Amino acid sequence: MRKAAFVLIHCLTAIAAQAEVDFNRDIRPILSANCFACHGPDEESREAKLRLDNAQGAKKAFEPKGDSEFLYRIETDDEDDLMPPPDSGHQLTKAEKKALKEWVAAGAPYEEHWAFQIPKKAKISGKGDAIDYFISKRLAEKGRSLSAQADRYALVRRVSLDLTGVPPTLAEADEFQKSGDFDKVVDRLLASEDFGEHWARMWLDLARYADTKGYEKDRPRTIWRYRDWVIDALNEDMPYHQFTVEQLAGDLLPNATNEQILATAFHRNTMENDEGGTDDEEFRVAAVKDRVDTTMQVWMGLTMGCAKCHTHKYDPISIEDYYSFYAYFNQTEDADRGAPVMATPTRAQDSEIVSLEAELKSLAVKPEGFREAFATWKGKFKDAPLWEPLRLADQKTKVVKIEQITDGTLRVIGELPEKDTWTLILELPSDEPVTALRIDALIKKAGGKWKDQNVALRELTGEWLEEGKEAQKIQFKNPRADFSQKGWEVAKAIDGSTEAGWAFSPKAAEPHAAVFDFAKPITGGKLRLTLEQEYGIGLTFESFRLSVSTHPTDWLSADLDLGLESVFQNKIFEPTKKVNARVTEVRKRLEQIRRVIPTTPIMRELAPGRQRVTKIHQRGSFLDQEGEVSARLPDIFGKLPEGAPANRLGVARWLTHPENPLTSRVMVNRIWARLFGVGIVETEEDFGTQGSVPTHPELLDWLAVDYREKGWSLKQLLKTIVLSKTYQQSSKITPDLLAADPRNRLLSRGSRFRLSAEMVRDQSLAASGLLTRKIGGPSVMPPQPSGIWKSTYSGDKWKNATGPDRYRRGVYTYLKRTSPYPSMTTFDAGSGEVCQIRRVRTNTPLQALITLNDTAFVEAAGALSSRMTDLAHGFRLVLIRPPSEQELGRLQKLLATMKEHYENDPSAAKELLTAAGLKEGDAAMVAVANVLLNLDETLMKP
Amino acid sequence: MNLHYEKVHAQTRRHFFGQAGLGFGSIALSQLLAAEQKPKFQIPAKAKSVIYLHMAGSPSQIDLFENKPALAKFHGKDCPEEYLKGKRFAFIKGTPKMMGPVFDYKKRGESGQWISDLLPGLSSVIDDVCVIRSMNTDQFNHSPAQLLLQTGNPLLGYPSMGSWVNYGLGSENKNLPGFVVLASGGKTPSAGKSLWGSGFLPTLYQGVQCRTDGGDPILYLSDPKGMNREARRKTLDALRDLNEYQHQHVGDPETLTRISQYELAYRMQMTVPEVMDISKEPQHILDLYGASPGHVSNIETAADPRRLYKGDDPTFANNCVLARRLVENGVRFVQLYDWGWDHHGSSPGESIDETLPIKCQQIDKAIAGLIKDLKQRGLFEETLIVWGGEFGRTPMMQNNVNATLKPGFYGRDHHPHAFTMWMAGAGIKPGAYGQTDDIGYYIGENPVGIRDLQATILHLLGLDPQRFSFAYQGLDQRLIGPTTDGKVVKGILA
Repeated sequence: MRKAAFVLIHCLTAIAAQAEVDFNRDIRPILSANCFACHGPDEESREAKLRLDNAQGAKKAFEPKGDSEFLYRIETDDEDDLMPPPDSGHQLTKAEKKALKEWVAAGAPYEEHWAFQIPKKAKISGKGDAIDYFISKRLAEKGRSLSAQADRYALVRRVSLDLTGVPPTLAEADEFQKSGDFDKVVDRLLASEDFGEHWARMWLDLARYADTKGYEKDRPRTIWRYRDWVIDALNEDMPYHQFTVEQLAGDLLPNATNEQILATAFHRNTMENDEGGTDDEEFRVAAVKDRVDTTMQVWMGLTMGCAKCHTHKYDPISIEDYYSFYAYFNQTEDADRGAPVMATPTRAQDSEIVSLEAELKSLAVKPEGFREAFATWKGKFKDAPLWEPLRLADQKTKVVKIEQITDGTLRVIGELPEKDTWTLILELPSDEPVTALRIDALIKKAGGKWKDQNVALRELTGEWLEEGKEAQKIQFKNPRADFSQKGWEVAKAIDGSTEAGWAFSPKAAEPHAAVFDFAKPITGGKLRLTLEQEYGIGLTFESFRLSVSTHPTDWLSADLDLGLESVFQNKIFEPTKKVNARVTEVRKRLEQIRRVIPTTPIMRELAPGRQRVTKIHQRGSFLDQEGEVSARLPDIFGKLPEGAPANRLGVARWLTHPENPLTSRVMVNRIWARLFGVGIVETEEDFGTQGSVPTHPELLDWLAVDYREKGWSLKQLLKTIVLSKTYQQSSKITPDLLAADPRNRLLSRGSRFRLSAEMVRDQSLAASGLLTRKIGGPSVMPPQPSGIWKSTYSGDKWKNATGPDRYRRGVYTYLKRTSPYPSMTTFDAGSGEVCQIRRVRTNTPLQALITLNDTAFVEAAGALSSRMTDLAHGFRLVLIRPPSEQELGRLQKLLATMKEHYENDPSAAKELLTAAGLKEGDAAMVAVANVLLNLDETLMKP
Repeated sequence: MNLHYEKVHAQTRRHFFGQAGLGFGSIALSQLLAAEQKPKFQIPAKAKSVIYLHMAGSPSQIDLFENKPALAKFHGKDCPEEYLKGKRFAFIKGTPKMMGPVFDYKKRGESGQWISDLLPGLSSVIDDVCVIRSMNTDQFNHSPAQLLLQTGNPLLGYPSMGSWVNYGLGSENKNLPGFVVLASGGKTPSAGKSLWGSGFLPTLYQGVQCRTDGGDPILYLSDPKGMNREARRKTLDALRDLNEYQHQHVGDPETLTRISQYELAYRMQMTVPEVMDISKEPQHILDLYGASPGHVSNIETAADPRRLYKGDDPTFANNCVLARRLVENGVRFVQLYDWGWDHHGSSPGESIDETLPIKCQQIDKAIAGLIKDLKQRGLFEETLIVWGGEFGRTPMMQNNVNATLKPGFYGRDHHPHAFTMWMAGAGIKPGAYGQTDDIGYYIGENPVGIRDLQATILHLLGLDPQRFSFAYQGLDQRLIGPTTDGKVVKGILA
């Protein structure tokens, strides 16, 4: 008891002390807003050599102590002397002048800007929850306290929407209503996959994620694998420092995994300009600047953007600081041209590939007895290998000559021709009938006049020359190749036309083989082969081999593997022969998967010798560069941590270093703002001197430190917050509460605010039972009115999805930057063009038109009307709580009215059902469901 | 009068401003602040509203406004080296040939301004117009140049001029948006909807694109099929009652806002189609503009809209009639984008000699009609009309397309250094302002930059361009940017 009394006294002194002038809370905002523009960090615009934005400057200004020049300037009637000058548009209020006077009287004590000091956990007295402690403390100062806990239905709906973006099911709500076990509810929600989809949206706003490249052409860009990476990372609760490092510099990590490199697509979400006549370097530079600005905004809550043209007027960041920091980001390969990209299989594709490859490997293991059996079998073919190279006897060519080297390989002597036709006379074995011809195209040397490594064998003809007989034309059949170019399939080499033939782009840098069976086997004599290669641009063979076989043709494949072993394995030996069918199947499936693997733009550092020199862009213009800088942090932030490399990875390590004063504060503030509507620092995007002062600085710091100490776990942070009494308060507003705390900045009640664009959509789909639960994949196109996409030159079309993709969560809606999905933007979603730190919340008639009339919501009303067993059930499907008698009465009245209306107008009833996507149903109930989905309470968090 | 409502409303006015809204007209910054103090950024206004005619792609000033005998003399000769050195072009490579004006010029009106034969309509009202021949910009690709002009920044993400004005002044008509956008020419402009986006301003202030091609004039305006006005009213009655119960129970003023927004939406469903219905205009007015209600442009569905270019497409004319109706009904900022002015000469469908005359036919009569109609209604004095592209076109032909001039392939590249715009109406002194050099390459005198143009438009609307700002990212953001470059062009003010 005595201890408690002591605590109370301690608190009172703390309050008394706070009533005195606090520089960062009371004075800095006044100086920043009114003085820094002319008396701040920017030397060029600094007036009278007076600097008030740092301690040294201010100290000088007030020497000797209490110099009254400052006070004279802010109080004088003389317009020429008055500060701030009247024409600046700034004017000090009485209260501000009073505060400044008190500050000067106290000796003008100066403190570093609060956000640049490392956060520390303040001591908490008592055993209670830290959040409640700090919130209650501030409320107590105003003679107030927390509101009562919200009722269980409201609570379960609130926490479900907050943690997963979708409402609870009625079963889940009822269970909590009975048990009251909130911990259990929270754990279930945090473990749900809906969690990642919901919180990813917040991060994608920051990442300026979109499905197109922006600017005039605004062409599509495949980068949804990055979106899915974010969802997975959040669902797995990847610690924020790792989440940071992988996105900013995953490619620079030692032995980086594909997933870590995929994460770097974060900074490939910058726009690219495909407009004709644009300078790629100009837009590469714009993208790098965007990366710099976005990095600072997202992790540090600071705006560096101003410093790209001139030294920042408010925060201590010079133009040199800007370009020195920019230098870290100026070393990636991408240059406004799409590349580099990487194949990024989805996890499902990846695991299937891994298991198929493992299966192939295990299938390749030879069973017992194979070796012995093979040795015995092979013995029979001692003198008859599968393929035997043919000896060149004579040749007739137009341009070049061919020579044969010891292993039978044929090659062009000297420079490759642009085109040529070769007629080659080859000796056939005399002992056994020859069944097939094989051509092996060996890899062409790169270089020389003709650089293309492809070959175009447009036509192949053969004749059999027997001593003393007339040449007989040979019929080839069953042509096959290990690989053929699209449109240049090997069959076209023997089709009697030189229109096309056999070629193998884009795999021209690999060896290839083609096999042609002889319709009639031949024995002895000579073979005259004509190879027409008159395509031009040097597409002829350079070195190749011609062989024949005397074995059964079904043993002869065009595989590069020439050995008898595979024949024995696949065609002869029973135990492995069976396996062969499965191998073929697995290979085919692998090929299928590999064809559809999406590629994603990624970050890749330039090789050391090719790194760019960074100079200061005068007035921000990339055409006017002067003054070389080397990569470093802005002066105010000191140096990279010990041992950190001087590149993006070093920057990422610095951002997540325990001594970085901002990263954890900015993140916990962001999460707080999503849950409570407004951050502890309202200006989430600006923790600099111009930003707003935290309402609960000690709480912010406590959360920031706790978050870091507990391993940067988002789920842990959320759990800490939602388990507090502060979070669980009722959001009921009494006139008294409204008067005392109009914007709820003291958190004297629960936060009631409108759901985000995506939540408005997802909730109505969930309530109506339409929602498709499927994680990830390419973005989808739910219905939008026709004629929205009319981009210049682009032939892309919006195709309204049918089937399950029509009802996916909002996070999967295709986002075209120059023409975003209209119902989302009307509910304040962004266009993904630039990093969006927070969305403003508006309340407009255009929103009403969407939830009343947009196809998505009308179809939801249709599905809801079919799903609800009665009015109360429908009400609960949307709002979770049961309706009051008054509410139910009003709904009954509406239903009766609408029933009468539609009974008198059956054709209208049919039309409404059709519009709502129903074949049959109750039009009156659709109208009621439409009302339920439009209730204020529906659109708001309870 | 619901006293409780009014009281709550008063208490949370700032709250509404930050997070909510009361219809289109009632929460502009000026009105919000009016009761507390006269906003520092407000100055006496000349213009009540703006009709901005943006010719997307950028018409050739050389062939419409810049009669340059010296250039004509060089016609077909190589461009002197001094004009090419150190310059960046979108498409020109090597040494291009100079290309004189393709069409004849005459002196027009009492003021005797040179206007080419392609613009007889504008010529007939030239004494009401101030032609600015000394515009210049620093962007030479469509998308960034359009963004710089309309949002003050070549990058995406900044509020458009119309949004700024809407934010500062709001709409006079609470049932209509304060900023309306109309597009013609078959395509939206290069930079897309960002040109009328609200950037960091609340989305309430963004431009609302109204469509005139048969669909809903405003997206989602129509009730679903089978829900007539009577049925909608009945559902909204129930919705209102249920929301009122909610308000009684929870006490959030936001609920009252929502109730009023649903009522406003209901009224808009009536008023918007009425205002948008230009078939209500008498025939002689439609004829004045060359308008034809109900026209659905084939261009919109064509794979290559240029093939369908004919002078008789009335979409732009229809939009001009609509612009007048909107301004008449209190809409603050009406913006018309007309696509199809990018005449490089790579085909007859985008050439100076064959396409420019067609594009001029599509707009010229309509513009003259608009000015005459506004005058006869007494609206000209309170409406500011602005016309122009996002940059100019070169005095040289574009030589990578053709080595020599041949019919159907006359074209010019993008030219940021000098181009022509004109303004008319509220607060504007008719006449000419600024000059270029003999061949129309550089500004000769009185240069007017993009920021100057923006400053002048804000000034005429009674918004001090230097002080009219929005705090965002630690800066007082302004349409005219952070520097002091933007100056009101006093020489064109009445």
